[in-house]
Amino acid sequence: MRFRPGPQRRSTGRAISVWVIALLVALVATVQIRSQAEVERSLVGIDTTSLAFLIDDLHRANDSLQAEAADLQARQATLRSGTSGAADQVLNDEANRLRAIEGLVPVHGPGVVIVIDATGLTALDLQDALNNLAAGGAEATSVNDHRVVTGVSIEQTTAGVVIDGSVVPPPWTITSIGDANRLAEVANLMTQALTADRRVREATYRTESDVVIRSVVSSRPFVYAVAS
Amino acid sequence: MYRRQLFSIGAVAAVALLMGFLVAGQVKAQLLTPSNQVARYHALVRSVQDLEATNAESRRLIAALRSEIDALESDAAGRSAATQALQNQVADLRAHAGLTAMHGPGVAIDLANGVPGPDIGAQASYLVNFQDVQDIVNLLFAQGAEGVAVNGRRITPLTAYSGSAGEVVIDQGPPLSSPITVVAVGDRNRMVAALYDASALPDIRARQVQFQLRLTFVGSPDVALPAYDSSLQIPHLHAI
Repeated sequence: MRFRPGPQRRSTGRAISVWVIALLVALVATVQIRSQAEVERSLVGIDTTSLAFLIDDLHRANDSLQAEAADLQARQATLRSGTSGAADQVLNDEANRLRAIEGLVPVHGPGVVIVIDATGLTALDLQDALNNLAAGGAEATSVNDHRVVTGVSIEQTTAGVVIDGSVVPPPWTITSIGDANRLAEVANLMTQALTADRRVREATYRTESDVVIRSVVSSRPFVYAVAS
Repeated sequence: MYRRQLFSIGAVAAVALLMGFLVAGQVKAQLLTPSNQVARYHALVRSVQDLEATNAESRRLIAALRSEIDALESDAAGRSAATQALQNQVADLRAHAGLTAMHGPGVAIDLANGVPGPDIGAQASYLVNFQDVQDIVNLLFAQGAEGVAVNGRRITPLTAYSGSAGEVVIDQGPPLSSPITVVAVGDRNRMVAALYDASALPDIRARQVQFQLRLTFVGSPDVALPAYDSSLQIPHLHAI
């Protein structure tokens, strides 16, 4: 004998299926609304042009990070080889590289030389110019033979712009070493903008295959900071 | 009875139809429709998110490699006095380059977006921008800061700031947006005094008045800075 469900059982089954579907609808609706809200929240104020620039910047940044990772992997392999003098070689190379980065030794390489003759430019103007060059890949920079790295103070005083305690009057000769093509693009935009500034008498630049920066930053021991 | 059955079938059909629309909407939000500007915009956003994920992964790898290299160098230094002396020199250089985590007395500065003003020409002025961060970091270094980090990104001798309105990109890191926290280790009294100076940070102060841009700071006996986790490549630079 076969069991046949009665009308009461059938209607209970139907009610359960309606409730399950309603639950699923609520779930999907929640996911949809939340994902829309998430996208909207993360994108407030970003237009497509800015996004395109951001993508370009992130591509360049990721390439640079991958190059750094490859360099570190090579160093790690050398150290792991355990050959005599391998660690000394790695440490010597690292010390020389860091001295160049920190501005502690004279350096040379391809780059640009920018000359700005102006009256009334301030420390903020100079900091902006130096940051533009750094963003354009400058690896070393000097202003009127004063080596500048992040951390070197550039201040506005009544006597004018002071770099690391020395007054640096215009005209400013800014020398930067790095990818000469990228730096030339930055220098071109900068000199165009500066030429339009009424305070600026002249702003020019030239690219050079080998620029020399002899000025150095003096090393300062930490007084407050402790390595973690 | 027949009417009740019809009604319940209709209800199930209506719910199923609604669910179909919602599922279709969800799928559509995930896919690129070339003719649809919104979808293209979302595709750009997904590219940014993918690139940011790669960026974070690369920075994790770099931090791990630096840590392993440090351990291998320490092993080697344990076997030779000359290597030990070299390692000490490199440790000092790394600390000054921002490659080592540090702590000490200092200040923590919070900077946050203000409110939009009525002037259309100054639309983005209420947002924190990269020049604001650059100005604060430069002020801190001018007052003797020995190390600075912005939202956990350590500043190095080669640091560059960029970004569009409301976004701050530091070196090879992902874009940061308000609120921004700048932390510096150094002479905290000197740094706090400089931050109180009404003539310092003129652009930020003007926008504090005009757009209620928020700048707050506090001195602390001990703040911590992470190590730099990105690239310090100098392919064009040669020591003389």
